[in-house]
Amino acid sequence: MSDETIDTADHDMSAPELTVTALTRRGFLAATGAAGAAVAAATALGGATPAGASATRPVKGGGGNKDLETAAFAASLEVLAVGTYTAALDAATAGSLGPVPPAGAEFVTTAMSQHQAQLDSWNEVLTTNGQAEVTEPDPALKATVDEAFGQVTDFVGAAELALMLEQIAAATYLQAIPRLKAPDAIELAGSIYIIDMQHAAILNFVLGEYPVPETFASTDDAAQPS
Amino acid sequence: MSVDDRALGELIEESQDLQSDAMRRACSTIPDLEDVREESRREEVDPDEVARFNESRRGLLKDLGLGAGGFARRGALAGGLGAALAALIVSPASAAKKKKLDVQILQTASSLEILAIATYDAALGLPFIKDGNEVVVTFAETTMMQHDEHRKAFQAQTKALDGKKQKQPNPKYAPVVEEAKPGLQTPLDVVNLAATIEQVATETYLADLSMFSNKKSKSIMASVMGVESQHLATLRAVRALLEGGGADLIAIPTDVAALPAAAGSVAFPDPFQGTSMASPPEEGAVK
Repeated sequence: MSDETIDTADHDMSAPELTVTALTRRGFLAATGAAGAAVAAATALGGATPAGASATRPVKGGGGNKDLETAAFAASLEVLAVGTYTAALDAATAGSLGPVPPAGAEFVTTAMSQHQAQLDSWNEVLTTNGQAEVTEPDPALKATVDEAFGQVTDFVGAAELALMLEQIAAATYLQAIPRLKAPDAIELAGSIYIIDMQHAAILNFVLGEYPVPETFASTDDAAQPS
Repeated sequence: MSVDDRALGELIEESQDLQSDAMRRACSTIPDLEDVREESRREEVDPDEVARFNESRRGLLKDLGLGAGGFARRGALAGGLGAALAALIVSPASAAKKKKLDVQILQTASSLEILAIATYDAALGLPFIKDGNEVVVTFAETTMMQHDEHRKAFQAQTKALDGKKQKQPNPKYAPVVEEAKPGLQTPLDVVNLAATIEQVATETYLADLSMFSNKKSKSIMASVMGVESQHLATLRAVRALLEGGGADLIAIPTDVAALPAAAGSVAFPDPFQGTSMASPPEEGAVK
């Protein structure tokens, strides 16, 4: 090994492989009209700031605007997740989903709580760095999820929608991690990505599918700001 | 046994197809790394990268009890305090050190994958596993295969960064597994051991992400980390079913209505994954 050589291979050489074709799962992308680029890449190119977030300003400590833009979009995904699980819980309570198994109810309650905690953490990052809290989901994603949720009539349908959301969130975090600069942002995104992957595994099991279907997690389902 | 053999077979076939696709994607990154390695040798050190390395070292020191705690580190984004602190407690990083750290991380990851493969292989030789629940057998076989693919990916990355492939199991945990083997008397014993290994791998990779300089290596480790975390989640759910007398519910498809409520939460006890069990980068490095 030649330890004396200089390695600055931190260029964005992963971009071609990691470019998103995303939200294509089950027609999701087609409905949103989203296509192609990573969260960080999209924001770097001047992509829309998620609803509820203000314009960013320079920060110190190795992160910068791109990290905060990614944090804001991550927060908007968490808002969407919390809102969707809340709607599912309300529907279950109202009897609109028919019989809900105990494990299903426990999952919804737990996942909702965890996504709220994750949202709170991203908002803490944003406000600590002088940004506004994100309180609204990405409008295009929300519209699509709302439409999909409107077609849910039972627990299985709700679980399938939850699985789709968790897969999108996980893929989005996976795509963002290599592009984040600040170690703390990387750690937080990685920590949340793990929980989303675990939510997806249990939803797979509940839906009668193998819980760990992929040998390497992919970014195919990653989302981008509308 | 409530296993739908046909459905399970279809799921396995589908999983294998997905794995093949994923491997094609992963393998496609290796030649890129080889090319970039040559280019990298001629490039100057990026000051931002040095700063990031120092930040990562500061985080590592914190995890070792030498720094500030927990997610409070997010505050380092807010101002120059973090950078100033890093400058005070760590020496400036050289390019050689950065590269050495990346290689060490990959070598330690390889050592953990080798350990996991050996553990699942040993488990599959136990009569109460190989002659037991078919879903457990399928999980052990599939997970062992997935760890082997992870090993290959980490070893290839090590080579791409001019490092020496780690071909030995993790030196810290290999003796632990050997000592545990005689005590593996029930499926629950095996699940507990496997869960520990998956948790160590997951937390190690999470801690490693912010220490990498090489972006491609970071991408692959993050991808693998997500899969290990799903192994861990599945094992936690299986453990809960075994402990609760629900072994018959370890099935695909399962009887969802019969699952205990805890099955909906036991796999992810916290909203954030910790790193208290993470192995340090040098633990499995080639000496």
